[in-house]
Amino acid sequence: MKQFVINVTPGPTFLHHLSGKTKVMLFGTFIFYTLMSFDVRLLLPLFILCLVALISLKPNWKVVIALFTFIFFMNLINLVLFWLVDPDVGQYYTTDTRTILLSLGNFFLSRETFWYLLIRQLKLMTSFMVSLTFILAITPSEFAAGLYGLGLPYKVCTVVSLAFRYIPDIANDYENIKISLQARGLEMDKRKLNLFKRLKDNLFILLPLIISSFDRIGNIANALDLRAYGLLKKRTYYAEHEPTKADHVFRFIAIAVLVFSFAWIGSRMIWPPVTQMWTPF
Amino acid sequence: MHKEPLIVFDHFSFRYASQQVETLKNIHLTIYKGEKVLIIGQSGSGKSTLVHCINGLIPNSFKGEIRGSCTVAGMDISHASIFSLSKQVGTVLQDSDAQFVALCVGEDVAFALENQAIERKEMIPLVKKATDKVGMSDFLMQVPYTLSGGQKQKVSLAGVLHENVSILLFDEPLASLDPFSGMQAIELIDAIHQEDRTVIIVEHRLEDVMHREIDRVIVMHEGEIVYDGDLNALLKANILIHYGLREPLYLQALNYAKIPFSTFEDVTDIKRMNFSAVQGELKSFVPKQLHKRIDRSEVLLTVKDIHFAYDVKPVLKDIHFTVHRGERLAFVGKNGAGKSTMAKLLCAFVRPEKGSIELSGTDIKVLTIKEVGQRIGYVMQNPNHMIVKHLIKDEVRFALENQSLTNEQIDDRVEDALKICGLHSMRNWPVSAVSYGQRKRITVAAILALNPDILILDEPTAGQDYAHYSEIMDFLDQLNNDHGITFIFITHDMHLAIEYTDRALVFADGELIADDEIQAILSNPDIIEKANLKQTSLYYLAQACGIAVEPFIRSFIEQRSQA
Amino acid sequence: MQKKNLAQLILGDWNTKTVVGVAIGAALFGVLMVYGGVKVFTNTNLTTAMLIPVIVGALFGPVPALVACFFGNVIADLIGGWGFWFDWSIGNGVLGFFVGLLPLYGADINKGVFTVKHAVIFALVAILGNALAFGVVTPLFTLLFFGGELNITFLQSLTGGASNVLVLTVLGIPLLFALAKRNASSQNLVKE
Repeated sequence: MKQFVINVTPGPTFLHHLSGKTKVMLFGTFIFYTLMSFDVRLLLPLFILCLVALISLKPNWKVVIALFTFIFFMNLINLVLFWLVDPDVGQYYTTDTRTILLSLGNFFLSRETFWYLLIRQLKLMTSFMVSLTFILAITPSEFAAGLYGLGLPYKVCTVVSLAFRYIPDIANDYENIKISLQARGLEMDKRKLNLFKRLKDNLFILLPLIISSFDRIGNIANALDLRAYGLLKKRTYYAEHEPTKADHVFRFIAIAVLVFSFAWIGSRMIWPPVTQMWTPF
Repeated sequence: MHKEPLIVFDHFSFRYASQQVETLKNIHLTIYKGEKVLIIGQSGSGKSTLVHCINGLIPNSFKGEIRGSCTVAGMDISHASIFSLSKQVGTVLQDSDAQFVALCVGEDVAFALENQAIERKEMIPLVKKATDKVGMSDFLMQVPYTLSGGQKQKVSLAGVLHENVSILLFDEPLASLDPFSGMQAIELIDAIHQEDRTVIIVEHRLEDVMHREIDRVIVMHEGEIVYDGDLNALLKANILIHYGLREPLYLQALNYAKIPFSTFEDVTDIKRMNFSAVQGELKSFVPKQLHKRIDRSEVLLTVKDIHFAYDVKPVLKDIHFTVHRGERLAFVGKNGAGKSTMAKLLCAFVRPEKGSIELSGTDIKVLTIKEVGQRIGYVMQNPNHMIVKHLIKDEVRFALENQSLTNEQIDDRVEDALKICGLHSMRNWPVSAVSYGQRKRITVAAILALNPDILILDEPTAGQDYAHYSEIMDFLDQLNNDHGITFIFITHDMHLAIEYTDRALVFADGELIADDEIQAILSNPDIIEKANLKQTSLYYLAQACGIAVEPFIRSFIEQRSQA
Repeated sequence: MQKKNLAQLILGDWNTKTVVGVAIGAALFGVLMVYGGVKVFTNTNLTTAMLIPVIVGALFGPVPALVACFFGNVIADLIGGWGFWFDWSIGNGVLGFFVGLLPLYGADINKGVFTVKHAVIFALVAILGNALAFGVVTPLFTLLFFGGELNITFLQSLTGGASNVLVLTVLGIPLLFALAKRNASSQNLVKE
């Protein structure tokens, strides 16, 4: 079975020790900050901050680098497509000029488009870095507890933690069902079969997988009911420790980032409306 | 001593909303404070339904019609909420994977506390206390996938021990445990009972529960209580078999030797029984000449020097063995010892790092999974994981349609497989209409249609009562006898290994530590300890009478197969 | 049993069984997203995960289907580690709602009720839901979050939508028929 990128048990570093609510708050506000800004002056510092945070988490670099490369090139392909379809795509977002940097026959690369594509890539990679840092710092239980701390109904939070609990079991069933079908002569992953046949063959795995997975519902629901699940309107979390001094500081930072983001949106995008991004030129 | 009634069923009947007839019929039962009660009965006898009435799942989760009354700790179950009952009654479910609902041990034990919104500061010492009681306090951060069945069960128990519940219900606590862990579970339950709690155990593995004293036994049959009294009288009455239940092995042996139980004062504990008067009769029970029925002339499978690892940690090391045509083998050992991995290697689901597996002289590394699958069939534990078609005959057909066969050939093979498995008259039925045992047959038939040489079955009888166990195993044994199919069973069940196999391979920590007849293995304390096995009562019986253990067990098996 | 009103049908009951059902649905969604794709080209995966909200919807209603689908997607992102792309998660949630509408037009998989009429409605709703989720919602969010070239953004999103429609109709309809057939009560079975 493939390893999860998220850790199920908390790691040892400073960021790991923050409470679930703090982590979810930081993630939420920084993602919001990333998504609302298209400005190198806002994105680059966060990107660097995430890099520092990532290093402090002492992750498995092999996995991190593989993921980073994958996301980087997937998005790069997009950018090339944008450029091929409309070499002037940057004009709408930067200045309404066309300064040719380089020209290849009919195609050309303008300074405006180049800048726009560069910043878009930076924005996507910053969003990825914020997510990855969050994923590597949190555990599923803290995630559920954090969502609850931010006011989500606990039944929805249970969906998250319970789903994580049964994913390895279901993944195991999936592998076993697949193998037993292969032993009974079902061809899989073979290129010689056409798409429809392959899709249809997938149904043979899905049917027993779905039936046996949903068959668990009764037993699990009984186990929850017998331990007073749903008794009260509120609940507490074993995985969520009381906020420490560091938690208070970071929660304050999260709120500050949120306030800043709203102020930025208010002053830059709504009135007076600025649709063009900041450029050094 | 003043006995205080805690659970009282009076003229109690229950019918599930989805069913036509009542599952519990006119139950009268009083369980007193501090008692330890065992409820036994076949599947469908109503014993689980009875438990659901006590913990409040009936009528809160399972809807239906109640007649008469049932009170638990003074609460009428028709009106009590499942929450108020849960403060009095703790339930350890049969399926410890379903009961483990959190992502680590500490969280799971804390689950009931979380739901009552208890502050985390108070929660931590309570979790510590509960896990201390079951010996799991060093595992608080462990995730469920790294725990054994026995450990998961201890966590389940710790999770319901809070607030000093007065009644503890154990629903088939032994179902998925290896023999040694099962024994530990019974000891733990006994310790919990000593703390002045009322304990109710539902099981059909009577002999294993008898490892520790029981105050009272209730036998259920077709929704009614047919026996309510002490264990000794029940055993002496020799009536278990009428209700589809297995009697303890040593009593079965005494029955074969025609020694009446009335010879003994108390038959509940073999270690306290005096056999001096019947030694002669038991000795003559062992015949001088034992015939060996296994023909070991044709080597079918040769496993040489197998090494295997999923990642860095070796799962199997240096495995050698051979299998002959027509043999019945057991793979035994605790969870994670490597027995399932060995089976997967034989089926080419995974490939060895080193070493070879030869099937009739061909190394299977040159064959595809599909090609190996035609010769070595694998039947998974849960039939629902294998069945993909709606109708029984289509399910049996499925694998054949992936072969290059003509339609007539397929029809013939399907017919044969259905007939052999006794499914022919039901061939046009939907799979969903038949019982678990019959579904098992369907999965066997679906593999048999491929005409394999070897069938590997993973825990073929897990969770089955004695009647279904016998039904499945006798059927498989017949396939072996009449059609010469070679069988490999992966199992925790020593009864199965004793009764239905010729040889056992014992795995421990990735090594093959024994390859011998099961009676020889169960006479070796060293192997028993390493592999989490348990001596059977036959062993004690033979020893108590000064009879050589191996021939005694073998003659027992022969008696059984004649019976 | 009394008839449920429309709001209840849409929201679902949210008792313990619903919570567990949605969680199992989200887990299945995550597993299929990460492990169970059908390779079309080297980089494009036809995921069968989209079939899960259909089942959750059939059993518990459209809002539970939406929750299972949204969180299934988030969980897949957490396991895979490739980051959160909320433009797609939101689109998936919207689609989950639409394909989970089965109880509203009378299909009841638990009781074995799924007819050709239901299949046709299901197919239409699947197409409509995809058009809305991946023709409107996801590309708009993509443009709002990240900006981009209009045609490419819509094209990419719609490709995802089209492959969903393919999976939902080619696999989803037979799956629903199979599940309904399995749950239909089998009476008058005679041994032959």
